[in-house]
Amino acid sequence: MANLTDAILPRPSNRTGNDRNIIQKAAILLAVLLAVAAIFAPLLTPFDSLEQSLLSRLRPPLGFERHAPGHLLGTDELGRDVLSRALYGLRLTLALAFAGAVLGLLLGGLLGLVAGLRRGWVEDLVMALVDMQIAIPFTLVALLVLAVMGSSLTVLVLVLGIAGWEQYARIVRGEVRRIAAQPFLEAARTAGSGPLYTACYHVLPNLISPLVVQFTLALSNIVILESTLSFLGLGVQPPQPSLGSMVGLGRDYMPTAPWIVLTPALLILLLTFTVQILGDWLRDHTDVRLRDR
Amino acid sequence: MFRLMLTTTLAMLPLAAGAQEITVGAANVTPFLDPGRDHSNVGSQFYYNSFDTLINRDHSKLESKWVPALATSWELIEPTVMELTLREDVIFHNGDPMTADDVVFSLNRMFQATFPPYVVRAKDRLGNFTEAEKVDDYTVRIHAAREEPLWETLISLQQIMIIPEVYTKALTGDPELAEDGDYEAFALAPMGTGPYRVADLQPGEKLVWERFNGFWGEIAPLERATVVQIAETASRVTALKTGEVDIITNVAPDQISLIERDPNLKTEGTATALFHVMIMNQNHPKLQDPRIRQAMSLAIDRDALNEALWLGKAVVPSTHTMEEMGALHQPELTTFEYDPERAKALLEEAGYDGFEITYDTAATYYTNGLLAAQAITEMWSAVGINGRVNVQDQWSGDDPEMMARNWSNPMYFSDPFGSFGVMWAPEGPSESEGRFNTDAEYAEKWERFRFSTDIDARKAAYAELMEEMKADPVVLPLYRPFESWAMKRSVNWAPMPGHIPYVLDFRAGSISLADS
Repeated sequence: MANLTDAILPRPSNRTGNDRNIIQKAAILLAVLLAVAAIFAPLLTPFDSLEQSLLSRLRPPLGFERHAPGHLLGTDELGRDVLSRALYGLRLTLALAFAGAVLGLLLGGLLGLVAGLRRGWVEDLVMALVDMQIAIPFTLVALLVLAVMGSSLTVLVLVLGIAGWEQYARIVRGEVRRIAAQPFLEAARTAGSGPLYTACYHVLPNLISPLVVQFTLALSNIVILESTLSFLGLGVQPPQPSLGSMVGLGRDYMPTAPWIVLTPALLILLLTFTVQILGDWLRDHTDVRLRDR
Repeated sequence: MFRLMLTTTLAMLPLAAGAQEITVGAANVTPFLDPGRDHSNVGSQFYYNSFDTLINRDHSKLESKWVPALATSWELIEPTVMELTLREDVIFHNGDPMTADDVVFSLNRMFQATFPPYVVRAKDRLGNFTEAEKVDDYTVRIHAAREEPLWETLISLQQIMIIPEVYTKALTGDPELAEDGDYEAFALAPMGTGPYRVADLQPGEKLVWERFNGFWGEIAPLERATVVQIAETASRVTALKTGEVDIITNVAPDQISLIERDPNLKTEGTATALFHVMIMNQNHPKLQDPRIRQAMSLAIDRDALNEALWLGKAVVPSTHTMEEMGALHQPELTTFEYDPERAKALLEEAGYDGFEITYDTAATYYTNGLLAAQAITEMWSAVGINGRVNVQDQWSGDDPEMMARNWSNPMYFSDPFGSFGVMWAPEGPSESEGRFNTDAEYAEKWERFRFSTDIDARKAAYAELMEEMKADPVVLPLYRPFESWAMKRSVNWAPMPGHIPYVLDFRAGSISLADS
């Protein structure tokens, strides 16, 4: 009888909470590991990511026949160390995604702030741009821009930055409008605080937590976008490795040398997964509305 | 049991009938078919099945052995005039008989070209011919400006395969006149006298050949052959494995072992009569000092590229020569070498300050092109050259900013003139694109090489041209790539040594299908 009650009654809420905590803790640990690996890639990698060894091409990872000593995860189609390239690729992919996300944050945040504070036609214009951005499939736009402008790291960062700005703009505008209606802002204005002062000292601090959450969520999307563009040959140019270009250039070797593709593909998966979990965790801990649930 | 046998037999019937059809998965299908204006590696696959030349060669042999085709006999009646007697039972795919008028029309559209795409081809290889003249319905004469050492070689070129006069002129506009529009239309509705007629051409996608029962020679072995474009290597291999196609083209050496592991499949390959080359821009402001370009060339270990990328199956030349050139084959010349120490010394002498040198390549056009580009810039960095691979799909050979890039130099006909000569003649395509300069001295050597009737004089002049290339290099032949085709075991086909590169020869004696 007791068992039946157990089954019917909802489990104590802290149980599911613990499960989630474990996943989150594992993810955070993984995220830290990936970040350390990316930052210290030059110290960690056994080989230069560009160093070729033409006579030991396409060698399999440790433990397989024909393994070339030293190349833990095997070598690629030019005899470069897959592990070293993957770590450098991770580093470049993360750096690009980070730069892109920061750019998107600045651009979207600024436009959202202006729209929220100024209202009127400025707001209409910004929100029309936001709607346009949402309506157009961005990968297509990115492909077009890179095809016309040619690919360089600068253009790539710009494209990645433009990829997610509209989300920030919407969040910031919404928050600004909500905050503007709060009594404390009314009080500040009455006390003689100017528009710039109000924006910087009263509105911005209240925006930080939703922006951090959005930033993390956007980061994984940008990682995917960068990988897609590089996979298609329009992003990072060879011989420079990025996770996406390693998958793209290695796909002809899938049947004979799958490790060239699997290593970066696995890293993309881990990266987006952990960043996503991290975003959820940040939201749980910073969003006031969720705090007591 | 009887019923089972019956159904099995019945099931096999359509197979036996269908066995005379094949499908080819090609990396590229041509955007048009006109043998006159085309000299691309893509186009050369397709002409031999549908068109004939006046004189043909025995393609099973490496050396040139001339055999009658649309002309049954030929002789020089003067040093600059050749008279040819035409075969009398030849009809075009639409049933019209072929006469001297068609031959004169086909030849003069090139010899006296006005249509710009013909002008280019006429100039780079047919420049010595002034006109073709009809003597009677089955006799023609070809006139040359100067004594021609390569008569049969040039008369057997793809560019002067025979096309129908009446049909072509009637394609657009005035049916009595040959207008540019007629030639444009012909390229999409091609017609010749060969053993297969083009039943369907979807530019860049698909080509269908059907057996032409009115062919003058031995009838075609296949009822129908379809070529479909499958650009990605991996997709081509998959299409072959699933049985969607019977033959695939352009198999990279790295894929050979994968295909050979399948008991139903095999590969056929050859070191194609074509060089993958690196070209360098003589007129780029930073590369005007020949010592820099010499160093770029000396730094490249072509044998290592061959071992690594081509499993040692490509052929690395010591000079711009091929064994197909017969008496003019000069492997004893050493024009291109690997010498990293000398490269370093030359860079130092030239005062190279570490500026960036770009190497352009398309992502997929040449087999192993992108891999070779990356390996080459790495070899450059070993001698101190700061190289960068620049991946772009558009042709940069005419861009003054181009520093170095890959290209291919096919052997369009078996003579040094047909390989090095077409690309590096005075006023030729390289000079007209602004990345190569010739002077009076070069032109004089060129004239002796091109027109001397004595073979030794031609060889000596060619050796002098190679010395010019060594002293002030603009090209480095990397290797003859090992190109492979993969197919079902039931298909008996292999590239033949007497063809120009990439020809898909499906004529009688060249292909057969095992009844299985």
